[in-house]
This record gives sequence, structure tokens and C-alpha cells, in this order.
Amino acid sequence: MAKFITIGERLSTTAPAVNKAFTERDPEPIIKRAKQQLDAGATYLDVNIGPAENDGEDLMKWAVQLLQSEFDNVPLALDTTNMKAIEAGISVYNRAKGKPIVNSADAGDRIGNIDLAAANDAIVIALCSSGMVAADNDERMMHCQNMLERGMMAGMDPSDLWFDPLFLVVKGMQDKQMEVLEAIKMFSDMGLNSTGGLSNNSNGMPKHIRPIMDSALVAMAMMNGLTSAIVNPNDLRLMETIKSCDVFKGNTLYADSYLEL
Amino acid sequence: MPFNQKPQKFNAKINTVTIGSGDKTVSIGGNSTFPFYSFDAPTENTAKVGIEISDMGLEGMPESIKAFYGEAASMADIAKKAATVEGADFVVLSLEGGDPNGTNKSVEELLAVVKEVADAIDCPLVVEGCKNVEKDAELLPKVAEALQGRNVLLMSEKEENYKAIGAAAGLAYDQLVGAESAVDINLAKQLNVITTQLGVNAQKIVMNVGSAAVGYGYEYVVSTMDRIKAAALGQSDNMLQMPIITPVASETWGVKEASASEADMPEWGSVEERGIDMEIMTAAADLAAGSDAVILRHPESVKTISAMIKALA
Repeated sequence: MAKFITIGERLSTTAPAVNKAFTERDPEPIIKRAKQQLDAGATYLDVNIGPAENDGEDLMKWAVQLLQSEFDNVPLALDTTNMKAIEAGISVYNRAKGKPIVNSADAGDRIGNIDLAAANDAIVIALCSSGMVAADNDERMMHCQNMLERGMMAGMDPSDLWFDPLFLVVKGMQDKQMEVLEAIKMFSDMGLNSTGGLSNNSNGMPKHIRPIMDSALVAMAMMNGLTSAIVNPNDLRLMETIKSCDVFKGNTLYADSYLEL
Repeated sequence: MPFNQKPQKFNAKINTVTIGSGDKTVSIGGNSTFPFYSFDAPTENTAKVGIEISDMGLEGMPESIKAFYGEAASMADIAKKAATVEGADFVVLSLEGGDPNGTNKSVEELLAVVKEVADAIDCPLVVEGCKNVEKDAELLPKVAEALQGRNVLLMSEKEENYKAIGAAAGLAYDQLVGAESAVDINLAKQLNVITTQLGVNAQKIVMNVGSAAVGYGYEYVVSTMDRIKAAALGQSDNMLQMPIITPVASETWGVKEASASEADMPEWGSVEERGIDMEIMTAAADLAAGSDAVILRHPESVKTISAMIKALA
């Protein structure tokens, strides 16, 4: 089995400093945050430029070229609702270290992103919902099947669709947590890759609690076959947990210094 | 139904490490397939064979090897003759005489041998320590210094002395580092990690992951090499992508099958043949399990294994 893939989530317009840097095309804060995440062991970096309705194409190109030239063609997840911006980003993307990830498609309005990924030989995150959170796993798996078929009809390799069960917040949806984990198991049993915004689970919790909840959930999710997650790689406890789970799963060979790798 | 070949493709490969300098160099590793699986992808470098000589000269060597080199040969003579053996890609000088529990030669004495051998031959050279961790920590940095520019491989860097040997060989004097572990896959990886953390270029490390004579706990050697190659290629583990060199002779010539006299064991046949057979069988198995180079002692074994490698290439 391949090692668990972490997608660093800290380059996002939801962070005011990043938003400002994107708007002003100021490389320094972007590079700083990217470096922090890569040093902490992130494989992919998510580039969330927000809706970017006006200058999305220009901004995504700028961000892709900035990051890939600074960090040896680091693989990226292109994260925006602006499809033209994703295509623009891919047009300047270097695949030496991995295919670009389109973040994201769903089974509703955004299903076109699967076609976009297929047309550009990209990976796509396929969110198993349509507008609203899936009511149960019957609905989740229906969305999963639909998106899988859509991708395969468009010529994609199934391994390039990374299914996202949609991690749910514990405070408010505690009763749905095991269902999400069961969905991951079903993806895994079908031989499919999976990912998701894992830290959703701990939204609204005290800051010191979140790494504990995130770490526990990632371990349970990896046990059920989760192959990737969109995470804060600078959460040391979480990254240590992922590396340890990779050892237990045989995804990487143990050495005493495994946490430093 | 027609046979459809499905090559096993890996997106990773074993590092290529080149030993020696000038016109005479030898490259090991570089492949992206399991051993001899040339049907999966082209072979970058075939496995290589080293011929081992010792600072102890011919003392304690089997009669047939003494006869090959000639009783009165000097270290320079031995080295020159070894370098001409058919199928030998490089010469390996073992400094076993330095062992404090054995002959306990001084570092100066051993350095004189190293220089004599290095001056006598211009082929790629590998130097093995005496296996005592304290003595090697003192000895091998001096060897690295004395052989600057020759790009030699210094074997016997262990967990206990990796700082001294790794820093001298891999950093100060720009030689190649042979990281040694004893049939312990986790330690093999760990030693590569800490050696690179020292600042040594991963491309300058060769692993000796341990060996045994066939029949002497040998299954562990096979599974260790097998799992290392699987992780290096299948999991793209760059801390296990160093090529593997395996000393065979030092394991096989001491076991009873190779050493028991014909007087004691008449039913076992010729002692010379037995010794060569043990060396060849072990080397062939090492190569099939994942060694990128083997170290042998008998000219006949060197010739035979080299021919096997070429036939399977």
C-alpha cells in the first residue's frame, strides 16, 4: 500500500493574511506558509483562492507558478469554484511530482469538475453530496457510484477519483460520525481512493482539543482505508499519528527515526 | 489464449553508485526491477563481483587460494593478481588484521598495507574494516584520508560508529560509505536515515544488510533483501534505495562444509570444491534476493558468478 497522502490546507483565502497576499500578489507570505507545510511533511499543497470571480485565472496561474518554481514542482490541489481558474492553473502546472488535483467536484452543481479533470488528466476530489449533506450512506454511495461512472465514461482511471465522504462536525452531528467512517470503509472495499477535510470534525472545539480529536479520527479513518486527507500539516500530533498509522498499515517500513522522515 | 506479458513497472529505482576514479570505475544499482527481471524493464547495471584480499596476506587462506597467488606473494603482488581475475569488477581489501581480539595490527601498519595495495592497482577499490567498532572508528577515517581522490567504498559503518566513519568517508574525504547492519531491516533503514542526517549524500551510500552462508539462518537474509527491494521500489522509500553489497566469502569459508578436511570428512569429497561450491551457492542466492554486488574470494567463484550474471542479463 502507498503512504497516506496529506494535502496541506493552510494556503486558503479564509486566512486573512493569505487572502491579502493573493490579492496583492505578494509572494512572501505564500512562500512562508507553503514552506512551513512542506517542512512538516505535507505531500500536496491545497491552493484555495476562494471564488475569485474577477481575476481567478490570472491568480491561479500566478500561485501555481510561484509555488512550483519555489518548491521543485510541488504537487498542488487547485481549490476554487471558478472552473476557468482551475483550467488556467493546470495549463501552467508541471506534473513532475504528481498530477494536479481538482478540488472539488460533487454530485450536484459541481459535477462538471469531473469532466474538467478527465479532460486535463487530473485527479479530482469527488464530494459525495449534492447540495446538502447526504442523509445516509445509501445516498452517499449513490453519489459515489454516479461520480465514478461519470469519471470512467470520460476516460478517467478510477484511482484518479478521490472520494470525499464529507467529514461532519462532532458538535451537532456526533451521531453521524460512525456513518462517515463506514462510508470510507465502503470506498476502500471498492478499491477506491478517498480524502476529505478531516478537521471539520473538531470545528468549534477549544484549540487544544482539536489536534486530539483530529488525530483520533485520522487513525480510525485510516484503519477503515482512508488514503488521503486535507489537513493542517503543522499539527504535530496529527502528523505523528498519520506516520505511526502508516507503519501499522505497512505503508512504510519502520525505522527509529520514522517521525523525522 | 495468447500470453499477454504485463511488466511490473515501478516509479522508483535503486540509486546508481559509482566506485573508483579515472578510467576504471564500476557502477552498481540503478535498476527499477527485481533482481534479474530484465523482462520488466531494461537493466541499467548488471550485478558486480568483487574479489577479496586480506591484510593478513595468505595466512589462513585455503590451500587452493594460496596456490593461486603463490606462497611468497607480497600484498602488492596479491592485489595485482586479484585485479586480473576473470570476472572481477573491483578489489576488496579486508583489514581483518586490525581486530583487537585477533592480530591487533596498529592503524599505521594497516595504512601501510592500504597504500601498498592502492598503489599497486588502479581498479575500483573497496576497503573493509576489522569489524571492531572502536578500532574501525579510528582506522577507517584514516583510510579515507589516505585514499583521497580514489573514490573508494569504505565498508563497516555501523550504528555504533556511524558518526566517525560517515563524517570522514562521506563528508571530509568524499569517499563512499558502506552502511552495515546485521540482517535487521529496520536498522538498515535507520542507519541510512542517520547517515544522511549527518549530511552524507544518499547517493554515496551503499548498504551491507548482512549475510550468512546458505544453510546458516540464510532465510532471514533473503527476506531482508527481498523486503528492502520491495519497499525501495514499491513504496518509493528513498531511505532504502541504496544499492546492496554483500560480503559472501567472509561467511562461507569458515563453515564446516567449506573447511572440514577430507581426512575428517572423506564422504564429503574435495575440500576445495566444497569451499568454492558454498561460495557460489551463497552468492547466487544473494544476487537473486537483491544484492547489487557480491564479494568473493576464490578466483573460480568469481569467474562462475560473473558468468552467471552475464548469462542472465
